[in-house]
Amino acid sequence: MATKRMKDNYCEECMIVPVADIYETDDAYSLKLEMPGVKKENLEITMNDNELEISGKIQKDETNGKNLKYSEYELFDYYRSFRVGNDIDRNSIKAELDNGILTLTLHKSEEVKPRKIQITAS
Amino acid sequence: MLTYNIFDDVLELRNLVDNFFRDVPSRGASRDYPYIDLYETDAGLQISAILAGVKPEDVSVELVNNSIIIEGEKKSDYTEHPYIRKEREFGRFKKSVKLPYRVDAGNVQAAMKDGILTVKLTKSEDAKPKRIEIH
Repeated sequence: MATKRMKDNYCEECMIVPVADIYETDDAYSLKLEMPGVKKENLEITMNDNELEISGKIQKDETNGKNLKYSEYELFDYYRSFRVGNDIDRNSIKAELDNGILTLTLHKSEEVKPRKIQITAS
Repeated sequence: MLTYNIFDDVLELRNLVDNFFRDVPSRGASRDYPYIDLYETDAGLQISAILAGVKPEDVSVELVNNSIIIEGEKKSDYTEHPYIRKEREFGRFKKSVKLPYRVDAGNVQAAMKDGILTVKLTKSEDAKPKRIEIH
Protein backbone atom coordinates (compact mmCIF):
# COMPACT_ATOMS: atom_id res chain seq x y z
CA MET A 1 0.00 0.00 0.00
CA ALA A 2 1.36 3.35 -0.97
CA THR A 3 1.66 5.78 1.86
CA LYS A 4 0.83 9.40 1.32
CA ARG A 5 3.67 11.84 1.34
CA MET A 6 2.48 14.52 3.71
CA LYS A 7 3.77 18.04 4.01
CA ASP A 8 2.22 20.29 6.65
CA ASN A 9 -0.58 17.76 6.88
CA TYR A 10 -1.29 18.14 3.16
CA CYS A 11 -0.92 15.25 0.77
CA GLU A 12 1.38 16.38 -2.00
CA GLU A 13 0.86 13.46 -4.32
CA CYS A 14 -2.91 13.35 -4.07
CA MET A 15 -4.94 14.54 -7.01
CA ILE A 16 -8.50 14.47 -8.15
CA VAL A 17 -9.57 13.04 -11.49
CA PRO A 18 -12.48 15.26 -12.46
CA VAL A 19 -15.64 13.51 -13.66
CA ALA A 20 -16.56 14.25 -17.25
CA ASP A 21 -19.45 14.19 -19.67
CA ILE A 22 -18.58 13.96 -23.36
CA TYR A 23 -21.01 14.28 -26.22
CA GLU A 24 -20.71 14.51 -29.93
CA THR A 25 -22.43 16.86 -32.29
CA ASP A 26 -22.17 17.07 -36.05
CA ASP A 27 -19.21 19.41 -36.01
CA ALA A 28 -17.64 19.10 -32.56
CA TYR A 29 -17.02 17.08 -29.41
CA SER A 30 -18.04 18.71 -26.14
CA LEU A 31 -16.44 17.89 -22.82
CA LYS A 32 -17.77 19.01 -19.47
CA LEU A 33 -15.54 18.48 -16.44
CA GLU A 34 -16.32 19.24 -12.82
CA MET A 35 -13.47 21.13 -11.23
CA PRO A 36 -14.78 23.08 -8.27
CA GLY A 37 -12.35 25.47 -6.61
CA VAL A 38 -10.14 26.06 -9.64
CA LYS A 39 -9.60 29.59 -10.87
CA LYS A 40 -9.24 30.39 -14.55
CA GLU A 41 -5.60 31.42 -14.20
CA ASN A 42 -4.65 28.12 -12.53
CA LEU A 43 -6.05 25.98 -15.29
CA GLU A 44 -3.82 24.51 -17.97
CA ILE A 45 -5.02 22.72 -21.06
CA THR A 46 -2.46 21.27 -23.44
CA MET A 47 -2.72 19.26 -26.61
CA ASN A 48 0.26 17.06 -27.24
CA ASP A 49 0.48 14.11 -29.64
CA ASN A 50 -3.20 13.17 -29.58
CA GLU A 51 -3.20 13.60 -25.81
CA LEU A 52 -5.42 16.28 -24.36
CA GLU A 53 -4.24 17.12 -20.86
CA ILE A 54 -6.22 19.16 -18.38
CA SER A 55 -4.70 20.20 -15.10
CA GLY A 56 -5.96 22.62 -12.50
CA LYS A 57 -4.11 23.85 -9.46
CA ILE A 58 -5.80 24.52 -6.15
CA GLN A 59 -4.61 27.43 -4.06
CA LYS A 60 -4.16 26.29 -0.50
CA ASP A 61 -3.23 29.53 1.20
CA GLU A 62 -6.90 30.47 1.46
CA THR A 63 -7.36 28.29 4.51
CA ASN A 64 -4.94 30.42 6.55
CA GLY A 65 -6.35 31.93 9.71
CA LYS A 66 -9.16 29.41 9.73
CA ASN A 67 -9.47 26.40 11.89
CA LEU A 68 -10.92 23.29 10.28
CA LYS A 69 -13.46 21.76 12.64
CA TYR A 70 -15.27 19.23 10.52
CA SER A 71 -14.38 17.99 7.08
CA GLU A 72 -16.05 15.93 4.42
CA TYR A 73 -13.91 16.95 1.49
CA GLU A 74 -10.44 18.11 0.70
CA LEU A 75 -9.45 19.80 -2.51
CA PHE A 76 -6.43 18.63 -4.44
CA ASP A 77 -4.99 19.53 -7.81
CA TYR A 78 -6.97 18.19 -10.73
CA TYR A 79 -5.57 16.16 -13.58
CA ARG A 80 -7.08 14.19 -16.40
CA SER A 81 -5.98 13.29 -19.88
CA PHE A 82 -7.89 12.10 -22.89
CA ARG A 83 -6.73 10.52 -26.10
CA VAL A 84 -8.22 12.22 -29.09
CA GLY A 85 -8.38 11.07 -32.68
CA ASN A 86 -7.03 12.76 -35.75
CA ASP A 87 -10.43 14.18 -36.59
CA ILE A 88 -9.95 17.14 -34.22
CA ASP A 89 -9.00 20.56 -35.45
CA ARG A 90 -6.22 21.36 -32.98
CA ASN A 91 -6.28 25.09 -33.64
CA SER A 92 -9.85 25.70 -32.65
CA ILE A 93 -10.26 24.18 -29.21
CA LYS A 94 -12.44 26.36 -27.02
CA ALA A 95 -12.42 26.31 -23.23
CA GLU A 96 -14.84 27.94 -20.85
CA LEU A 97 -14.90 27.84 -17.06
CA ASP A 98 -18.17 28.62 -15.34
CA ASN A 99 -19.10 27.91 -11.74
CA GLY A 100 -16.65 25.04 -11.38
CA ILE A 101 -17.54 23.42 -14.68
CA LEU A 102 -14.98 23.42 -17.47
CA THR A 103 -16.50 23.12 -20.93
CA LEU A 104 -14.19 22.21 -23.78
CA THR A 105 -15.30 22.32 -27.38
CA LEU A 106 -13.16 20.33 -29.77
CA HIS A 107 -14.16 21.15 -33.31
CA LYS A 108 -13.90 18.44 -35.88
CA SER A 109 -11.63 19.12 -38.78
CA GLU A 110 -13.21 20.05 -42.07
CA GLU A 111 -12.43 16.70 -43.72
CA VAL A 112 -14.58 14.62 -41.39
CA LYS A 113 -17.61 16.86 -41.10
CA PRO A 114 -20.75 15.45 -42.66
CA ARG A 115 -21.19 16.85 -46.07
CA LYS A 116 -24.02 16.89 -48.49
CA ILE A 117 -23.05 15.54 -51.85
CA GLN A 118 -24.54 17.31 -54.74
CA ILE A 119 -25.90 15.08 -57.45
CA THR A 120 -25.27 16.35 -60.86
CA ALA A 121 -27.65 15.34 -63.55
CA SER A 122 -25.94 13.83 -66.49
CA MET B 1 22.88 5.83 2.49
CA LEU B 2 19.81 5.19 4.56
CA THR B 3 20.12 2.82 7.44
CA TYR B 4 17.24 0.54 8.05
CA ASN B 5 15.53 1.39 11.27
CA ILE B 6 12.91 -0.94 12.56
CA PHE B 7 11.13 1.93 14.32
CA ASP B 8 10.36 3.55 10.97
CA ASP B 9 8.06 0.66 10.17
CA VAL B 10 6.47 0.91 13.58
CA LEU B 11 5.82 4.64 13.14
CA GLU B 12 4.49 4.02 9.65
CA LEU B 13 1.98 1.61 11.07
CA ARG B 14 0.99 4.08 13.75
CA ASN B 15 0.37 6.76 11.09
CA LEU B 16 -1.67 4.33 9.06
CA VAL B 17 -3.94 3.59 12.00
CA ASP B 18 -4.11 7.28 12.98
CA ASN B 19 -5.08 8.37 9.49
CA PHE B 20 -7.63 5.62 9.22
CA PHE B 21 -9.46 6.74 12.34
CA ARG B 22 -9.06 10.41 11.48
CA ASP B 23 -10.70 9.88 8.11
CA VAL B 24 -13.45 7.48 9.11
CA PRO B 25 -16.05 9.52 11.02
CA SER B 26 -16.70 12.22 8.44
CA ARG B 27 -15.47 10.63 5.24
CA GLY B 28 -17.55 7.52 5.44
CA ALA B 29 -20.29 6.45 3.11
CA SER B 30 -22.95 8.14 5.21
CA ARG B 31 -22.18 11.67 4.08
CA ASP B 32 -24.83 13.34 1.97
CA TYR B 33 -24.33 15.52 -1.03
CA PRO B 34 -23.14 18.28 -1.04
CA TYR B 35 -19.92 17.67 0.85
CA ILE B 36 -19.04 20.39 3.30
CA ASP B 37 -16.13 21.65 5.35
CA LEU B 38 -16.74 23.58 8.55
CA TYR B 39 -14.19 26.14 9.70
CA GLU B 40 -13.97 28.27 12.77
CA THR B 41 -12.79 31.81 12.14
CA ASP B 42 -12.16 34.77 14.42
CA ALA B 43 -15.65 36.11 13.80
CA GLY B 44 -17.53 32.85 13.89
CA LEU B 45 -18.07 29.95 11.54
CA GLN B 46 -17.57 29.35 7.86
CA ILE B 47 -19.13 26.51 5.90
CA SER B 48 -17.98 25.68 2.40
CA ALA B 49 -19.89 23.28 0.20
CA ILE B 50 -18.98 21.77 -3.16
CA LEU B 51 -21.69 22.77 -5.61
CA ALA B 52 -20.07 22.63 -9.02
CA GLY B 53 -22.44 23.44 -11.84
CA VAL B 54 -25.26 24.59 -9.57
CA LYS B 55 -26.60 28.03 -10.33
CA PRO B 56 -26.79 30.41 -7.34
CA GLU B 57 -30.52 30.92 -7.98
CA ASP B 58 -31.10 27.16 -7.60
CA VAL B 59 -29.68 27.03 -4.07
CA SER B 60 -31.30 28.09 -0.84
CA VAL B 61 -29.53 28.49 2.47
CA GLU B 62 -31.65 28.58 5.60
CA LEU B 63 -30.85 28.99 9.25
CA VAL B 64 -33.32 26.88 11.19
CA ASN B 65 -33.02 26.14 14.88
CA ASN B 66 -29.25 26.29 15.13
CA SER B 67 -28.78 24.33 11.90
CA ILE B 68 -27.88 25.48 8.42
CA ILE B 69 -29.92 23.82 5.70
CA ILE B 70 -28.50 23.85 2.21
CA GLU B 71 -31.10 22.85 -0.31
CA GLY B 72 -31.40 23.04 -4.04
CA GLU B 73 -31.21 21.37 -7.38
CA LYS B 74 -28.38 20.66 -9.71
CA LYS B 75 -30.14 20.92 -13.03
CA SER B 76 -29.08 18.53 -15.70
CA ASP B 77 -27.37 20.06 -18.71
CA TYR B 78 -27.81 17.03 -20.92
CA THR B 79 -28.31 17.64 -24.59
CA GLU B 80 -30.01 15.64 -27.30
CA HIS B 81 -26.71 14.56 -28.76
CA PRO B 82 -25.19 11.10 -28.35
CA TYR B 83 -23.01 10.76 -25.26
CA ILE B 84 -19.64 9.05 -25.19
CA ARG B 85 -19.23 9.46 -21.44
CA LYS B 86 -21.74 10.26 -18.73
CA GLU B 87 -20.05 10.46 -15.36
CA ARG B 88 -21.60 13.54 -13.79
CA GLU B 89 -24.62 13.37 -11.53
CA PHE B 90 -27.57 15.69 -11.22
CA GLY B 91 -30.61 16.06 -9.05
CA ARG B 92 -32.07 17.58 -5.93
CA PHE B 93 -30.10 17.80 -2.72
CA LYS B 94 -30.71 18.79 0.87
CA LYS B 95 -28.26 18.87 3.70
CA SER B 96 -28.51 20.03 7.25
CA VAL B 97 -25.44 21.07 9.21
CA LYS B 98 -25.73 21.30 12.98
CA LEU B 99 -23.85 24.30 14.29
CA PRO B 100 -21.72 24.00 17.41
CA TYR B 101 -23.07 27.20 18.95
CA ARG B 102 -25.71 29.87 18.46
CA VAL B 103 -25.10 32.27 15.60
CA ASP B 104 -26.37 35.74 14.81
CA ALA B 105 -29.38 35.11 12.55
CA GLY B 106 -29.28 38.63 11.16
CA ASN B 107 -25.70 38.34 9.97
CA VAL B 108 -25.43 35.41 7.57
CA GLN B 109 -23.54 35.82 4.32
CA ALA B 110 -23.58 33.33 1.47
CA ALA B 111 -21.57 33.52 -1.71
CA MET B 112 -20.89 31.23 -4.63
CA LYS B 113 -17.54 31.19 -6.39
CA ASP B 114 -15.84 28.66 -8.67
CA GLY B 115 -18.49 26.08 -7.83
CA ILE B 116 -18.03 26.40 -4.07
CA LEU B 117 -20.66 27.86 -1.79
CA THR B 118 -19.34 29.73 1.22
CA VAL B 119 -21.60 30.60 4.14
CA LYS B 120 -20.23 32.94 6.79
CA LEU B 121 -21.84 33.04 10.21
CA THR B 122 -21.01 35.19 13.19
CA LYS B 123 -21.16 34.01 16.74
CA SER B 124 -24.22 35.20 18.60
CA GLU B 125 -23.73 37.52 21.57
CA ASP B 126 -25.64 34.99 23.69
CA ALA B 127 -23.05 32.33 22.96
CA LYS B 128 -20.09 34.44 24.04
CA PRO B 129 -18.79 34.05 27.55
CA LYS B 130 -20.15 36.63 29.95
CA ARG B 131 -18.55 37.87 33.11
CA ILE B 132 -20.90 38.03 36.02
CA GLU B 133 -20.29 40.69 38.59
CA ILE B 134 -20.34 39.63 42.20
CA HIS B 135 -21.85 42.17 44.53
